[in-house]
Amino acid sequence: MLMADASHLNYSALLRQSKRLDDSACTRTMRLAVLSDAAVPQIVPLLKALLVHKGIRAEVYLAEFDSIELEIFNPQSDLYAFAPDAVIVLNSLNALRLKYYRQAAERSHFVDGVVRAAAALWDSFKSRSPALVIQSNYVLPYERQFGNFDHKVGETFYPMVARVNAVLAELARDRPQVLINDVEALASYVGRKHWSDEKLWTLAKAFCALEHLPLVAQNLVDILLSNAGHVVKCVVVDLDNTLWGGVIGDDGMEGIALGPFGEGEPFFRLQHYLLDLKRRGIILAVCSKNDQATALAPFQSHPEMVLCEEDIAVFVANWNPKPDNIRLIKETLNIGYDSMVFLDDNVFERQLVRETLPEVIVPELPEDPADYVRAIAELNLFEVSSFSDEDRRRAALYRENAQRQTLQTGFTDITEYLRSLDMRVTMRRFDAFHMPRIAQLIQRSNQFNLTSRRYNLAECTAMAECADECIPMYVTLADKFGDNGLISVIILRPRSSVMEIDSWLMSCRVLGRGVEQYAMNQVVAIARAHGCESVIGTYIPTAKNGMVKDFYQQFGFDRVEERDGATISRLHVSTYQARAVHMKEAA
Amino acid sequence: MNDAEIRARLASIFREVFDDESIALFDAMTAKDIEEWDSLNHINLIVAVEGSFKVKFTTKEVTNLANVGEFVALIASKLS
Repeated sequence: MLMADASHLNYSALLRQSKRLDDSACTRTMRLAVLSDAAVPQIVPLLKALLVHKGIRAEVYLAEFDSIELEIFNPQSDLYAFAPDAVIVLNSLNALRLKYYRQAAERSHFVDGVVRAAAALWDSFKSRSPALVIQSNYVLPYERQFGNFDHKVGETFYPMVARVNAVLAELARDRPQVLINDVEALASYVGRKHWSDEKLWTLAKAFCALEHLPLVAQNLVDILLSNAGHVVKCVVVDLDNTLWGGVIGDDGMEGIALGPFGEGEPFFRLQHYLLDLKRRGIILAVCSKNDQATALAPFQSHPEMVLCEEDIAVFVANWNPKPDNIRLIKETLNIGYDSMVFLDDNVFERQLVRETLPEVIVPELPEDPADYVRAIAELNLFEVSSFSDEDRRRAALYRENAQRQTLQTGFTDITEYLRSLDMRVTMRRFDAFHMPRIAQLIQRSNQFNLTSRRYNLAECTAMAECADECIPMYVTLADKFGDNGLISVIILRPRSSVMEIDSWLMSCRVLGRGVEQYAMNQVVAIARAHGCESVIGTYIPTAKNGMVKDFYQQFGFDRVEERDGATISRLHVSTYQARAVHMKEAA
Repeated sequence: MNDAEIRARLASIFREVFDDESIALFDAMTAKDIEEWDSLNHINLIVAVEGSFKVKFTTKEVTNLANVGEFVALIASKLS
């Protein structure tokens, strides 16, 4: 939830807040449509309040009770007129139960019928709107017609709902515009006994007990935020009494508690949890008050260490204040504070970091290390809305970058250094294979991003298929240390004699390598090939993209217009002098 | 808890749910007397009262509630 604790999820407190929301500090708006076969008016103020906490103003369209099909299948419906960014579909178990009872015959087709109906809705919606669909799954029922024997029979309600959830997830996997809102996970966590309020269903068709509705709203906000690019990229972790029990500088290698049994087990488990995060692309960094050699020793030679030196992208052990070291880690990795989580058993350090760097997410760790993993996992800090091969390799990429920085210090001439990297670049039109990564980079690039236009996967796919109105390009880069993968996206729109740069964004980890220079040479070449006289570039300022404020000026563009805060610059193609680049085009 | 204490606590729940500090309860008071008292806030009110007094009403009790006086009596009967 990109927040360090869940104490804000109080139904009546959030309702009160929603009545006097100050959205003046909000920098963006999300248009959300809510469709449900339960009555869910209460979720609207909850969503609004939770999103305002994250600087987002929500415009919400709440459809009539039980009008999911009417809204989606009718192209003239209010849903489409509203033009949502995301449509939230909330299906309740109580409504599903009614369908099940009514289908007394042919129950063997029940699962199939339910999931086909859902997929038909998704596909119909997709044909009319590029918006995201956030589909809930079903809370498992409490009734077991045959008791434990239900599972042997198979065609009773309880096992069939489990099957519906499994098939819904499978069908959603093939549809990137559909994300699953795992309400069943929330209900199981709270306990199904407490989750639903049967009286409120009878009286008002309520989705669940109202006190738990904030969890549903927060779960939706988690999905919306991750889809908008707010994701955790890095976990910064303390060592003593966090990664192992005891103090390495005092207790020594034999004295610290770590291993699969006894006192060291909680730390062993936390290390496994962190290693799993690293394997799915979360960068790990160490920030410890220790001498470097002392701190590194367990990583190098403790027999029960799960994490090794290579798993840590940035290792900082010194006696400086932790906020200074976190700043150093942030700068080394070129990421934002709001994408960092800091784990430390020491309440003083946690508080210092919270006060000095308020954007860093600092979860409260419980007193007993046995509860560390659970306390972290409960917060759902690592929600994403896409997962690519690039993610799996990210930790390796950042480590390679750290090596490049070390190499860099040996050269006095940057040109010589860049040549020594043996860089290979490609710039190609969008293709199906790279589409998930393209959409992801568009969602996530905040700093090197000239216009911050967040095209989703469906929109990118549409661009790839368009013939004339748009030239969508991606750039990949490899060098002698490894493959950086797809690191830049440039979308051009030819308008007779003018080539307009709609979007230009790049991953900051390849900053200063000359990718932009190479790409600008290509853009001008494309403009010439289209017979364009000039290239137009726009800079739209955000809180994070100040680094590219003068991007176009570097290449000889002239500022021609200021409009709503945006700066529009023009380059005459005939005057452009190709920039020197130190990379080869890959075959 | 005596009748006056129930009334006082109920009044503060009303003020919170309807976000109106000026609400004063009287026995004959119904949904018509409070502009914000719609079906949605009615549910919020029931849930808030159940939570505050640690009682549970049946569906029938909720459906049959006619006015604030009956509400106070219902709470009192649950607490006794």
